[in-house]
This record gives sequence, C-alpha cells and structure tokens, in this order.
Amino acid sequence: MKNSRLKKEFIKERQFFLASPAILWQILFLYIPLLFLIGISFFRSFEYFSIKHVTLDNYKVLLTLSYAKIIGRSFLLAFFNAIFCFILSYPVAYFLALRVRRFKHILLFFLALPFWTNFIVQVYAWFFILDYHGLLNSFFLKMGIISQPLHILNTPIAIYIVMLFCYLPFMVMPIYTSLSKLDTFTLEASFDLGATPWQTFSNITFPLSLSGVQTGFFLVFIPSFGEFVIPTLLGGGKLMFIGSMISYFFLETRSVFLGAAFTCLSGLFLIASALFILWLFKKLFR
Amino acid sequence: MREIRLVNITKKFNDELILDKLNLTIPSGEFFALLGPSGSGKTTLLRLIAGFEHVDGGSIFLGKKNITQVPINERKVNTVFQNYALFPHFNVFDNVAYALKVRNVPKDIIEQSVIQILQKVHLEKQIYKSITQLSGGQQQRVALARAVINKPDVLLLDEPLAALDLKLREKMLVELIELQDALETTFVYVTHDQFEALTVADRMAIMNQNGQIEQVGTPEEIYEFPRTSFVAKFVGSTNIFRGTLKIEEKESYLKIDDLGMFKVLLPKHKAWVCDDCTVLMSLRPEKIEISKKKLEGFSNCLEGIVESIVYHGRSTQYHVRLKNDFLVKVFEQNEEHFPQEEIDYDDKVFMYWQKENVVLLEK
Repeated sequence: MKNSRLKKEFIKERQFFLASPAILWQILFLYIPLLFLIGISFFRSFEYFSIKHVTLDNYKVLLTLSYAKIIGRSFLLAFFNAIFCFILSYPVAYFLALRVRRFKHILLFFLALPFWTNFIVQVYAWFFILDYHGLLNSFFLKMGIISQPLHILNTPIAIYIVMLFCYLPFMVMPIYTSLSKLDTFTLEASFDLGATPWQTFSNITFPLSLSGVQTGFFLVFIPSFGEFVIPTLLGGGKLMFIGSMISYFFLETRSVFLGAAFTCLSGLFLIASALFILWLFKKLFR
Repeated sequence: MREIRLVNITKKFNDELILDKLNLTIPSGEFFALLGPSGSGKTTLLRLIAGFEHVDGGSIFLGKKNITQVPINERKVNTVFQNYALFPHFNVFDNVAYALKVRNVPKDIIEQSVIQILQKVHLEKQIYKSITQLSGGQQQRVALARAVINKPDVLLLDEPLAALDLKLREKMLVELIELQDALETTFVYVTHDQFEALTVADRMAIMNQNGQIEQVGTPEEIYEFPRTSFVAKFVGSTNIFRGTLKIEEKESYLKIDDLGMFKVLLPKHKAWVCDDCTVLMSLRPEKIEISKKKLEGFSNCLEGIVESIVYHGRSTQYHVRLKNDFLVKVFEQNEEHFPQEEIDYDDKVFMYWQKENVVLLEK
C-alpha cells in the first residue's frame, strides 16, 4: 500500500532525472569543493589534517580591523552599486514597459547588446574612456567643463562607474518583466479614483513591480559583492576587496587555509547581509 | 447628480474614425444603457467620458461644466471596469478605501464609509480578505463599492457582468438597480447584451457598427417602436419585410411582392410616409398567432409551411417558409400542458397579426 504510493510519487518525479546531469555537475564541481573549502578553513596545514587538529585559529587571525574593512568595503560597493543600478534602471524599465509601443523589441535588443561582447573586453574598453588622456577627459576639456584632465582611472570612482555599466542590464530586465506584466487597467482605476500620477506610482505601480526590483537588487548585489575583475583592473590594485583578497591569499601568499577561512567568513557575511536586506524589503514595503 | 452632455464628439484611432460628431445627452440620476454590437465604439465613448482617452473634436459637459480637458483624477466620474481592475496587492478594505485615502480623508471617516458601503454590497464579512480569495461575483461587488464610495456624479460600468455566469448575472442586475436607486447617481452601463440593457435601463441608446447612435429611448420605446431596422433587429428578434405603401381613404396597405396586401397603421408626421413609397415593416415573432385553422378577427394573415420547430421551454420557435421563399420566425408561448393543436414539420399553417402590432420603418 505504502509502497505503491511511493512508486506513484516516484513516477511523478521522473522528470527529476532529466535534471540529474546538471545536478551531478554542480555536485562535483561546486558543492563538493565548497564543502572541502569549508572543511580546510578549520585546519592550519595539511600536515596536521586530522580531527584532533581542528582549530578556529584561522578565524581568530582574521578578526582584525583591516579584514573587516575589506569586507565592509565590498559590502558598500555591492550595496551602492545595486542602489545606483536601481535608480538608473527603473526609469528605463518603466519607459520600455509602459510607454514604448513601437520599436520595443529593438530597444530591448540594444539593452542586451553588451552581452554580445566579452566582459573583459568591455572592461578594457573603459580604460580608453577613463584614461588621463582618454575619451572622457578630452571631451570635458573640449567642452570647457574642466581645465585640466581628471584622475579617474585607478580610483574608486572608476570602479563604481564600470560596475554600474556592467550590472545595469541585470537590474533593468527583471524590473521590465514585472512592469510589463502589470495590468494597465489598475493604473487607470487608480487615476479614475482620484489619485495623482505620483500617488498612482507610489501606491500601485511601484508596489506591483517590487518583486522585479527585489530580484534585480539581488542579481546585482550578490555578484557585485565578490566582484574581482573590475576592482582589480580599474582600481589599480590600490583598494582591496574580498575578490582581490581571496586571490591574494590563494595565488600570492599561498596561504590556502587562511584564504579558505576568509572565503567562508565573507560568504557568511554575504548571506547575513542578503537576509537582512530581504527582511528590510518586507519591512519597508509591506 | 448631474447630466452628461456629449457635443459633436469625434474620436480617431490611427486615422480610423471611431466616433464622428456624436451627440448624446445622458439625463441626471438615470440608469442609462449604451447598447451596441462589439466594435460600435460604445466602450470608446465610455473611456472618453471617464477621461482615459482624449477627444479629437467636440466637448463633454458634466452638468454645466465643460470637462473635456479636465484630467481623469479630477473628474467626478468613476468607472467599474470589465475585468474589475482591482488592486491585487491590497485587501478588500484597502481597495474600497482607495478613493478616500488618496484624498487624505481622516482614518475614522474612511473606516466608517468603507463598512457602510460594504454592507450595501453584502461584503462586510470579507472586509480583510485578500482579493485573490474572492469569487468572481464578490470581486465584482468590491469593484462596485470601490467606485461608488466617493459618491461620484456619474458611475460608468463597462460590461461589468460579462465574466459572471447567467444566474449570478441576473442577481447582480437586480442589485445594481437597487444600488442605483439608493445612490441616485447617474449610471452609464455599456453592454452588448440586450437582455441586460432592457432589464436595468431607465433609458437606453442604441449604437450601430459605425459609431452612430440610432435611437435613444426607454426600453419599451426601443423594443416596441424601433425607428430603424438596425434597432429592430439588434434589440430582440424580428421579421423584416420590404414593400410599397398604398394609402387609401379608409385603410392603408403595404404591398409586398408575391405575398399580397397587408393592412398597416401609418405613423404620423413622417416625411417618408407617402403613397407608393418603399418602406420596411418589422413584425416581432411573438406578435404572431400561429394556427392550422382559419381564425377570425385578425387584420392580416399569411400562409406557409413549417420548416423547423425549436422547443425553448416557455416558448416554441417556428420557422415558416412562405411562398416567396421568405422565412418567418414565430414565437408561441407554451400555455398548456396539452396543446389543443399539434403543429408538426411540413404542416401548412396560417399566421395572423393585428395591424397595430407592426412597426413601419424608413430604413
């Protein structure tokens, strides 16, 4: 009796096996290495690799202000990058979803066009724009806005500019999707009932697009937190972020165990901050 | 409680003329139905009154005030949408309270009004339920309550019952009439369903495919005295004959080719009524008496062969083929369990009617 029910459930879930190659791949190359990483963060070296040598020493070493600063800096970069992306994306998504009638597909195509170029190539292209003798400075000089070129490259500003550029589509797309699913009759109803355009936006449009905003926020926030390429290349290596710190541990000083502990610590912080932001979303908008 | 006056309203969509110089007055405090086939521009007309669309010409007056350029949110006109357009992220209370909330009405007054209006539409038990938990009929009632809470001068209803089943629709129609009585607001009800329009309306306008208004009148006037064959055919069903008028001293006749002469009553003061003029005659199926026997006391009689019989329960519909191949529709009320006369397929029957019971039409 129970057996046959189990069998039924089993048959119902048969499609599960279609997903098994991908899941196997993930298990082999993500989850097992991750577990291994977490494991070695509690050891000091391979010579003392047994249960009685489990230690929290790595973590104790990391509990200093300079490492906290690195994590904090990464958090701020990710957080503000997500905020800036949101501020710039919302009008774009709103316009695309609710105002544009013709040429919508062409505009969406333009939005996706950056994905056709390799990420590293895009980042290098920014060198030519932000350089001391680059496009931006010569443009500003010609326009007479500045009298002397600005130092943008190798500063946090360069990091923020390029991060914003690279992550913008990840914010626009989910907001666009949620806004285009919006029933425009509800907006008409809001006006009809006496609401001003601003009241309609804050009471109806924005709350109904919140799921898109939330998705976009995390699509930007989480990868930004561990972003390695942009801060390293455009920040001139002057400022450490968690991405560059981890690579420093593993590749430069070869302190694998400390690096593993730092990775775990950053990961924990990321999970905690993501949960906090999720809670904040619920608190603020519900 | 104000009347709506539409003066020379013109509306185009992509160079296609939807409404051309339309004039219509909707009297204050009436339940007014706009009836027309789909594509007749009746919803467009409603959206123009609400302010969702802008006119390409003409003016809209609410009472004495010209509201043509007044933005949607400042018109004292509210709408019940066909798909209800309820706010899915609000519960019943917040949906209904919306119109007051955006006007910054004090909280305790909002609460009182919401409870009061929800009692009127029998939803006081659902006040804190989410919209998705409600049935179609309940959602309809929320939409109604939401639209009337701020006491608009005019309430526009765009096919509000289209999504409900027949029984619920009949019930809601009665509730709508009661609500209109209680509120004394002008209701403008757009529908393509003649049954709904005839049921609810104090007065109705019939629109044709070209966005023109064919006739305005009470449901009875529209049904019994249609002015055009479009109205006669669209509201209810009818048999239309074309013939030539023969006006004699004592009696007037309509001469129909191959069928003969039929006594008619002439409408007064109509320019198109003249001897030898071609006119149309509308004869409603229920105004015809059908029998296999010769009957006395009727002004007119036609002869034909029964081609089909459809039993509807309370009535039976016959299609009778005339000798000129014309098909006449007849409704006969089923008054008795055991009819004295059985009419069967291919029977030869006589159809009788009184001359007062037909309507002559110009076109």
